[in-house]
Amino acid sequence: MSSRTIVAPALLAALVTLSAPAQAHHVGSYVPRDNAVTTNFKQVKFSVQAQKFDVALKLFDEGPLRTEMRAHAAALPADLEEGTRAALAAGDGREVERRLMVFFAALSRDLALEADRQLARPGAAADAQIATGRKFLEAIWRYYNLVDFAVATRDNKASVAVRLAFDEADGYVKPGAGGAAPANPENLRKPLQRIAQVLSSLIESSAPPSSSTPPRRNS
Amino acid sequence: MTDAGAPTWRLPPRWVLLVAVLSIVAAEVGGGAMARFKVELTRWARDGMLARPGVHGLVGVRDVDERILDEALVKFDAGLRLFHMHAEGMGLVIIATSMVAATVIQRAVARRAIIALLTVGGAGYPVGYLAWSALIPAYGLERSKAIAEWLVWVPFGTATIVALWGLVGCVAWTMLARRRA
Repeated sequence: MSSRTIVAPALLAALVTLSAPAQAHHVGSYVPRDNAVTTNFKQVKFSVQAQKFDVALKLFDEGPLRTEMRAHAAALPADLEEGTRAALAAGDGREVERRLMVFFAALSRDLALEADRQLARPGAAADAQIATGRKFLEAIWRYYNLVDFAVATRDNKASVAVRLAFDEADGYVKPGAGGAAPANPENLRKPLQRIAQVLSSLIESSAPPSSSTPPRRNS
Repeated sequence: MTDAGAPTWRLPPRWVLLVAVLSIVAAEVGGGAMARFKVELTRWARDGMLARPGVHGLVGVRDVDERILDEALVKFDAGLRLFHMHAEGMGLVIIATSMVAATVIQRAVARRAIIALLTVGGAGYPVGYLAWSALIPAYGLERSKAIAEWLVWVPFGTATIVALWGLVGCVAWTMLARRRA
């Protein structure tokens, strides 16, 4: 057995192995999952679409969606939770959809405001702030995406404005090609502020005329 | 049908078999422990991550942080599962390939070198997944992966691949030599 027989392929294999990217090792992949609130929202939504209002009401009464509405009551239009429950009991699918749209728009708006507040903090490194911005954008989209169709059918301009602002913000948090310097986090604040502003207007215009909106939490 | 000229299968050295069986035992113990202590392990990892918000990029908002924690916990669990699967599989790979090497390679130096590389590389590589999982709470997803990569996966994985290519060369050489004869 010649030593060349072993050395040649061994060298080749070593070269292939060492030149392979570090990501070549299989470490599994992660697919973001629904959280308890979005899962419960989908359950209620599909039950309403199937005209199973008794099922939807039960899911709403016992689910985390209602708990979350109560927890955010101070930042929501008055009686949003009770109104949603009443609409479910009355079998009014369109009103249920409108109220859930307002709820998720409010959650998205609060996240946009909080993101803007955190990005305004002085002293943080630009890449860390961009990473923070990216995480907030993912969370905002996870909620807003659930109700974008409902928003578009009621206020198409608001839907387009949120999407445009989101696209702009998304462009700032994408990693630069070829190790380019991170974008200025200050740029990210403007589209976030626009998202918050458009969603605030949407919430106000979607609130029932009789309801009085309490002062909103600013973070 | 049997080939009259075929060599008799030879066992690799006992220490190789011991390492291979130990690898399989570690895989089974790891798999069992994963199932038995799933809640405790998850709690330990979650507490470790919450204690180092800066490392994991936590921002203090539940709607944002829950996804970050969820991803890290899924990867933590994936690392343990991959350790279980790789340690089990590599134990068998060590036994099979070292048996081929012991049977086919005539030169003692080459045989010993290849068997040693197969054994050390095969037994060490799965430990990288265990190390990766264990390091996630303290160092975050990417840094822990880089540590496991350069301390375990690259050296032990390279040893296994080099040994396997060497074994391929030896088997091919034997076939050619037999044809010439």
